[in-house]
Amino acid sequence: MSNPTTTRESRVSRTAAMGLMLLLAVYFLLPVYFLVVASTKPQGDLAATNGLVFSHFSLFENLRTLFTRSDGIFGRWALNTVLYAVLGAAVGTLISALCGYALAKFTFRGREFLFSVILGGVLVPTTALALPLFLLFSATGLVNTYFAVFLPSIVSPFGVYLARIFANASVPQELIESARLDGAGEFRIFFSVGFRLMTPALVTIFLFQFVAIWNNFFLPMVMLQKESLFPITLGLYEWNGQTARAPLLQESIITGSLVSILPVIVVFILLQRFWRTGLAAGSLK
Amino acid sequence: MSSTVTRTRLAVAAATAGIVVLAGCSSSGSSDKASASSCEPAKGKVTLQYWNTVPGMDKVVDLWNKQHPNVQVEIKNISNDQYGILGNALKANKAPDLAQVGYDELPNLRTQSAFVDASACKAATAAKSKFVPWTWSQTSFGGTGVFAIPQDTGPMALYVRSDLFKKYNVAVPTTWDEYATAAEKLHKADPNLDITFFDPNNAEWFNGLLWQNDAKMYGYSGDKWQVSVDSAQSKQVADYWQKLISEKVVRTDLAHGSTQMYAAYQKDQIATYVGAAWGYSMFRDNLPKQAGKWTIVPMPTWGANGSSGDWGGSTVAFMKGSRHLYESVEFNTWLNSDPDALALENKLGGLYPAATAGLDLPALQQGVPYYDNEKIFDVFADASKKIDTSFAWGPTQKTVNLALQDAMAKAAAGSGTLTDALATAQAAALKSMKDQAIPATAGK
Repeated sequence: MSNPTTTRESRVSRTAAMGLMLLLAVYFLLPVYFLVVASTKPQGDLAATNGLVFSHFSLFENLRTLFTRSDGIFGRWALNTVLYAVLGAAVGTLISALCGYALAKFTFRGREFLFSVILGGVLVPTTALALPLFLLFSATGLVNTYFAVFLPSIVSPFGVYLARIFANASVPQELIESARLDGAGEFRIFFSVGFRLMTPALVTIFLFQFVAIWNNFFLPMVMLQKESLFPITLGLYEWNGQTARAPLLQESIITGSLVSILPVIVVFILLQRFWRTGLAAGSLK
Repeated sequence: MSSTVTRTRLAVAAATAGIVVLAGCSSSGSSDKASASSCEPAKGKVTLQYWNTVPGMDKVVDLWNKQHPNVQVEIKNISNDQYGILGNALKANKAPDLAQVGYDELPNLRTQSAFVDASACKAATAAKSKFVPWTWSQTSFGGTGVFAIPQDTGPMALYVRSDLFKKYNVAVPTTWDEYATAAEKLHKADPNLDITFFDPNNAEWFNGLLWQNDAKMYGYSGDKWQVSVDSAQSKQVADYWQKLISEKVVRTDLAHGSTQMYAAYQKDQIATYVGAAWGYSMFRDNLPKQAGKWTIVPMPTWGANGSSGDWGGSTVAFMKGSRHLYESVEFNTWLNSDPDALALENKLGGLYPAATAGLDLPALQQGVPYYDNEKIFDVFADASKKIDTSFAWGPTQKTVNLALQDAMAKAAAGSGTLTDALATAQAAALKSMKDQAIPATAGK
């Protein structure tokens, strides 16, 4: 028989915890809910009706306007964002994995120093790097090109840090030794042993990078002037500056915002299984 | 949350400022001043930079680029922080050939020597006759040069909910006296109904009202500015609105263009809107359910004086450092007076042209369905011709506007009056000019 007081207490505290969680969930999801509601409304209902209640449903019309405005420039922005985020995250993850693996599995002089430097890189906000990057790129003529946004996106000190911890945790030294005895080269060992064992961890890094690049606003704003190179974030920002002269843009900005968060949600849901494993793997060390 | 946003914005602004400045330092080759005010056509292909905030301007420029393979124009949209970006570019010697500048910002940028005088180009001086007189008088600073070409204007008129006036049997006002009487009548008939709203944080709008009453806020003679922000004409306008505010027959809690403003209109709480030509699409797009209920009539007048005012509008200025003045003039005059260009700008960007030929655009001759198929642009075209041409802006207009807004907000909240606000603005104008070592005296 269990102690009735404990049961009641735990029930009370559980209800309280659930209540708090529910409150927080509502708090965090309310803006998303507003976005969903607002993007189904025609411009005329945006100001005139309650923001949290559905009115006239014209989501599909809004989507059509969004994708046809200015010769479908939004589609171009979406494509750019996908390009920056998917390619950037993929290449960035690979580089992080290579670095982290090397730092974890090879002993060489200055390893800890190198790692400390990389760790220090985590502390430097990307905003602070935008100005020096701009000057560098300006000198090399890369400003206002795809590479201006792509190249900085593939560097992730935090990814290296995670990869090192994950490599330590999930790739046994014995496996590497036996692969070496079998005559495999270091790259072969990395790709067929290390990489596979680290997969859940790498998905975590990929997700981190993907979300970071997807939401990146400041770097593209500094680097890009040509509209056709913009990611969604910058494109919507530019539209937002024009609403005073073109009120109808407002609806497209809202619908565009909704469209822009969908892929992140989808990627997150698809990969969250790996994400959880990856986080747990890191937590033990 | 909002503080994070502000902080990010500040960071963004600060960093971009730094970048532009540094970028300017890094390229030392751009400092050669090639023919500042001579007007020679270039040999070979030329590329012009044109920064603006007009939606759809890329289409207009495409049209030009197709017809002029040797003068290609590149544009950049600077809708976010227009004057911040321009100011930084100027400091860094990286200004474009042409840039969009509001009429009220022209004197300020001119005191910073931001412009180049294009009057060496015959095409520039000859363009004078193509534009509504007041616009040319402001872009030429009273005929002392050609520093910009007028692009669009905001002649003012009165937007009226004719159904509400009919319902309460009130005549649509033609003078400001009648307007005040109508305000009282409407408010008495329905306590939730006000004739309009007074947005204390909108000095640009209030300046338009002063302009209508021939209030000359600034003069310039003998190498000195004469500041008369609180002239008798200005005070007349201020007293008038102060009375409406004190009697509580106008709302003071609505910001122009805000969701709350549209909601108030949607709920039939406000019966008129003292607005400019570019405002017609705001109501059409944000309040579609009120189609057919609106009409546009001339702005109420001050007694026998039939003048109208202007609120907003922009010019395309010739920026210092431009190396291709001849081509800039060519493009700039085409951009702002060619009927095809004007039609596109009106259609895509909602610009109400400053060119007299633009007032006859086919699109501006038709009835507008939202306004019960009335030819509303006739009203604006008429207003456009009745705007005082001698009105001038000050060289520290933004500072003065901010001071005015602060004081007007206090007046709207019940401490002080709008006349006090004018006195504050007058003092702010003199002080800010003194701070910048711009010679100025009070009065005419």
